[in-house]
Amino acid sequence: MFDKVLVANRGEIALRVIRACQELGIKAVAVYSEADARAPHVREADEAVCIGPPPSSQSYLLGDRIIEVAKRTGAQAIHPGYGFLSERAWFARAVREAGLVFVGPPAEAIEAMGSKTAARQLAISAGVPVVPGTTEPLRDAEEAAAIAESFGYPVLLKAAAGGGGKGMRIVREPSELASALGAAQREALNAFGDDAVYVEKYLDGPRHVEVQVLADQHGNVLHLGERECSLQRRHQKMVEEAPSPVVTPALRARMGETAVAAARAAGYVNAGTCEFLLDTDGAFYFLEMNTRIQVEHPVTELVMGIDLVQWQLRVAAGERLPFDQKSFTPRGWAIECRITSEDPSNGFLPSTGRITHLHLPSGPGVRWDGGIEDGSEIGLHYDPMLAKLIVHAPTRPLAIARMRRALRELVIEGVETSRDFHLRLLEHPDVQSGDMSIQWLEAHLTELTSASASDETVQLAAIAAALAAHDDRGQATVSNSPASSRATGSAWRDIARRESLGLG
Amino acid sequence: MKYIVDVSGRRLTVELDGTEVRVDGALVSASLETVPGTPVRLLRVGDTVHRVVARRDGARGAYRVGVDGWQFSTDALDARTRAIRDLAAASQAASGPAPLVAPMPGLVVRVLAEVGAEVAAGQALVVVEAMKMENELRASAAARITAVHAVAGTAVEKGMVLVELAAL
Repeated sequence: MFDKVLVANRGEIALRVIRACQELGIKAVAVYSEADARAPHVREADEAVCIGPPPSSQSYLLGDRIIEVAKRTGAQAIHPGYGFLSERAWFARAVREAGLVFVGPPAEAIEAMGSKTAARQLAISAGVPVVPGTTEPLRDAEEAAAIAESFGYPVLLKAAAGGGGKGMRIVREPSELASALGAAQREALNAFGDDAVYVEKYLDGPRHVEVQVLADQHGNVLHLGERECSLQRRHQKMVEEAPSPVVTPALRARMGETAVAAARAAGYVNAGTCEFLLDTDGAFYFLEMNTRIQVEHPVTELVMGIDLVQWQLRVAAGERLPFDQKSFTPRGWAIECRITSEDPSNGFLPSTGRITHLHLPSGPGVRWDGGIEDGSEIGLHYDPMLAKLIVHAPTRPLAIARMRRALRELVIEGVETSRDFHLRLLEHPDVQSGDMSIQWLEAHLTELTSASASDETVQLAAIAAALAAHDDRGQATVSNSPASSRATGSAWRDIARRESLGLG
Repeated sequence: MKYIVDVSGRRLTVELDGTEVRVDGALVSASLETVPGTPVRLLRVGDTVHRVVARRDGARGAYRVGVDGWQFSTDALDARTRAIRDLAAASQAASGPAPLVAPMPGLVVRVLAEVGAEVAAGQALVVVEAMKMENELRASAAARITAVHAVAGTAVEKGMVLVELAAL
């Protein structure tokens, strides 16, 4: 096993990896931008090195500088987390060529799977079913229109190097195609430095179901069941769960075998995820393979009883997986909510500021994977995800009840967050019955964001506001106008007079 | 003391007399205690208890209230101040729709508004990139564009006026 590992990331995932290292007796080296000098991941690490100014292009994306830091601090391996450099084949290769270990798949497997177009071609050759679409990046809007015409609207534009919803657009009408292609290419260029975009048939009503795989360097490839991630907005997952409410043991085995076949075809090692669209008729189509640890890995950890990040490190160090496929049967139900600094009541616009108060939920079956604390500055340089709230319970209804309880306990003050929106989601009958598709959330967005509270709750808010205003008024009287209070003998009368004169 | 409280588009009357509170005429006992060192307060209504976060939100009397998993923009004013504010708001409404302001710092990607153009409510006017996502900022009401201050490729600060609008 390694003695020291560099964690090339920030926020909650950096903290997650640092924790895994420390539990394995590995020293963790954090890297950070100037904006993150006081971030939790810096303090929790054993060593920490500043690598540049706030923009990620000048810090967290500087592979060469990070490799240099690893060599200087004596780290033997680099864990990339997710995002940033995690799926850059050149980085994985540079790490290897520097004589270090990349905690992830070989550069060749990232190349085979990292580009969605290449992944499709590989999947087709491995006999894995895929959704109809192009395997070459689009040249221009005319070519896009001709291809879209061939299988009909709606179509989906996707960045070849993409992930996380960036550079993705659904196009429902031919007239929208050109501007959507432009926007997708711009987003792709900004987010990934590559504007290659391709087009595919957009299925109506499928679920997003993905399969976790784990492979060692000795030819063992296992799957760890599925995660249901259908609740997405703009292709950003908001809630994930394991298992899926519609996947039977037989379907799990078939999807798992398909994921393992795809991973083997790519020469895959370490933890990875095959994403599928699961159609309403039970057919499933390979979408892409994420060649990294995923944001939503904890739900698999909870139902499978395994620490995926620790196994990433152990596999990277050359250990053999001591499990067989039969070891992995989901136990109970796990749900994750991605708590973001977005304001659902205001079009999900990012909210920035300082966390002035943070109260975390606790109690049975509750896990918080966060990168924030009291005083954290939430800026615009990085992703708006603040933390993940994850629960585990014996059944799906109990897990939903537990998540609702935990969300109600959670208090984040200082920035707007998605907390209340998650409550509305989990209160919805469709979500409670598991009747979801990848279009569900977009279709119900207005209903969810404009939901109104009960009369009782509105009354409580009114009482609280009146009492708070009354308190503040009392304090203002005492602190601001002692002289005039004495003069009139009544603070209330004085205040009222000042206000009516517009002095309040 | 009588407060007129606007809560998410509804208007309630809350009369306070010690721990006695009359909400739209119905009498309850209620109190609000602060939890020292935190923005959290304990609201008691009868024997029920609720965790409340009430934070000043701009003008006096305006509070952002979080209770039982809901957030409310509230405005709690005594009756006289309420009447004055309502008059002021009415005269402001007559002067036309509010300008489009940047709700967050970011980079202007595209400007879709042209001076003189008539736009519909909800029409995208400016696209601002923040947190690596493009966000469309839309007109709050049907209006005519009187000035465009946003310039593609430039950074904007929160609260900066991007587009000025006039009533149709």
